[in-house]
Amino acid sequence: MRSFFRLQWSGILVGIIAGGIALALSAPAFLSEFNLFVLLRSICVSLLVAYSQMVMLGVGQMNLSVGALGGLVAVVTGGLMDALGVPTLPAIMIGVAAGGAAGFVNGWLTVKTGINGFIVTLATASAFAGINLGITKAVPFYNLPADFVAFGNGRLGLFPLLLIVPLLVTVVLALFFSRAVPGRHMLAVGGNAPAAQLSGVSVPRAIISAHVLSGLLAAVAGILAVAQLGSAQPTIGSDWLVISFAAPIIGGASLAGGAISIVGTLLAVVLIGLIQNAMVLVKVDPYWVQFLLGALILAAVWFNRYRAVRVGES
Amino acid sequence: MQVTRMRGALAVGLALGVALSPLAAMASDNKIALVPGGPHPYFAPWEQAAADAQKDFGIASVEYKVPAEWKLELQTELFESLAAQGYAGFGYFPGDAVGVNSTVAELKANDIPAVALGGCAQDPTDTAFCMATDVYASAYLGTKALIEAMGGKGAVVHLAGLLVDPNTTLRVQAVEKAVAETNGAVTLLQTLGDTDNQEQGDQKINALLAAQKDQIGGMIATGYISSVVAATALKNLGDKKIKLIGIDDDKIVLDGIKDGFVAGTMAQNPYGQGYIGAYAVDLLAEGCTVKADAPFITTPQTAKFIDSGTLLISSANIESYKDDLKKLTGELQASFKDKFLSCS
Repeated sequence: MRSFFRLQWSGILVGIIAGGIALALSAPAFLSEFNLFVLLRSICVSLLVAYSQMVMLGVGQMNLSVGALGGLVAVVTGGLMDALGVPTLPAIMIGVAAGGAAGFVNGWLTVKTGINGFIVTLATASAFAGINLGITKAVPFYNLPADFVAFGNGRLGLFPLLLIVPLLVTVVLALFFSRAVPGRHMLAVGGNAPAAQLSGVSVPRAIISAHVLSGLLAAVAGILAVAQLGSAQPTIGSDWLVISFAAPIIGGASLAGGAISIVGTLLAVVLIGLIQNAMVLVKVDPYWVQFLLGALILAAVWFNRYRAVRVGES
Repeated sequence: MQVTRMRGALAVGLALGVALSPLAAMASDNKIALVPGGPHPYFAPWEQAAADAQKDFGIASVEYKVPAEWKLELQTELFESLAAQGYAGFGYFPGDAVGVNSTVAELKANDIPAVALGGCAQDPTDTAFCMATDVYASAYLGTKALIEAMGGKGAVVHLAGLLVDPNTTLRVQAVEKAVAETNGAVTLLQTLGDTDNQEQGDQKINALLAAQKDQIGGMIATGYISSVVAATALKNLGDKKIKLIGIDDDKIVLDGIKDGFVAGTMAQNPYGQGYIGAYAVDLLAEGCTVKADAPFITTPQTAKFIDSGTLLISSANIESYKDDLKKLTGELQASFKDKFLSCS
């Protein structure tokens, strides 16, 4: 048991299990197949958004343009399919490539100007959101291919088809950061950039790569959001910023860089999704939902911190 | 020769102008802006309304200017920037019903009139008047239509919009009143707030349906996005048992009415608000004043309210409702100057 509590994410898992049991007892509909489907589907986009920021935290930077970039890719992809009649797969590929290119712009500007990525992405977030509005004029793209929308709403029992993508991404990211050289280089740069540089790691390349990866992940999140909602809404991504930081940090990522936890981030997203689901199920007064959401997330963080202190974690 | 030809062309132009456009006599040099609180598809018809008002009323320029985000400070910066560029008046949706008043007071101090469109500023305000949907009446009538669609009994869920929007409070009260009038035959199962955001709304409304779809007889959605998300959710669920009354005429909601997943939706008149709003602002900028005894309606927010009209769109009138709204706009505009303004 003590070795279980030594795991960084064990406190979050305990919170999920305890919350799940409490919800099952207080609101039996929680365990219904459709509700579990809704819960799982609601975490698909959030998980990719969290990973997008987690990558940046790993390299010791921040990306404030995650939501704007994802939203831009969402309307670009939707616009290609609706306004220009581009088939689904090419439209998705162009959308993902646009996300990677936007990420590259973030990384290149950060490296070349020497300005902190926080400031650079603050500026590009505004630019991406502006392009989004310029393209859409706040009116969504509606006419999307039926198979694309069906994928966003499809399920096998309680398992949303949409979840296939973030699960695949989870596996790829886990391998990338544990086995691949570029992934290890990113964490090395995040942990101690001068030491990494002296060891022969190219810091600029690691930073640009992290931004590109972050852009690709935000792009995939944007495209999944379009599939889930059935229309390319210009508001997609507008409220991603909080969860993009909350989940990786609750999951154990260090704001100073160099340390991330993919399992921890995954569990943190599930925990936040569970709390949001609970708000509806137990009919919380709508005016108190935000307060309770914040209080429960704080409680989860506190519990995990308490666990860390108890097991002597630094 | 060239001068003679030019004079001839000018004379023909003037003659044609006078003959073909009686409104040319009313032409003004004013630059007017219609400014929503932020980007939202509800305001999309304002762009066409601005173009039509400029043409029909001979106004020098009517522009549709959208703040980059739904934040009061961005709306304020936009007002200040446009005023500095010589704009003579504004039709606006308040980014914040109270917070906008200080900016409106500054504009008035510089002889720049402002009217609230689509939503009202809270009294006391220097806003000349507010022309919007009577949200209380719209939500009340919508809930009555829902109760009728449900056969007069069952449980209702209210899908409300932004909780910080004062209109939401009025809508909550209206739904509660309509439900209370059934003497217990209909109950209000839950009010779900902040569903007027696509992603949040999708999560909340689907979770609600997952938990309680067997208990829900009907849903009244009083937010634009809430209506879209609810219509999509019911279609995905394949559920025609739960009756839904939405608001506004988004394509997804209209398709839901055609497919039988949506019982109806309460149409608002954003085009009419923008069109008549631009006309009124131009007249105010020209020196007209608001009549002291104008037939304004008093609401909890303002004593100078003009109802821009609402109607229920159902399968019965889905093909003709736009004509009904145009007729409504025409009638309101035709009598507007005489009823509400005093022009020397």
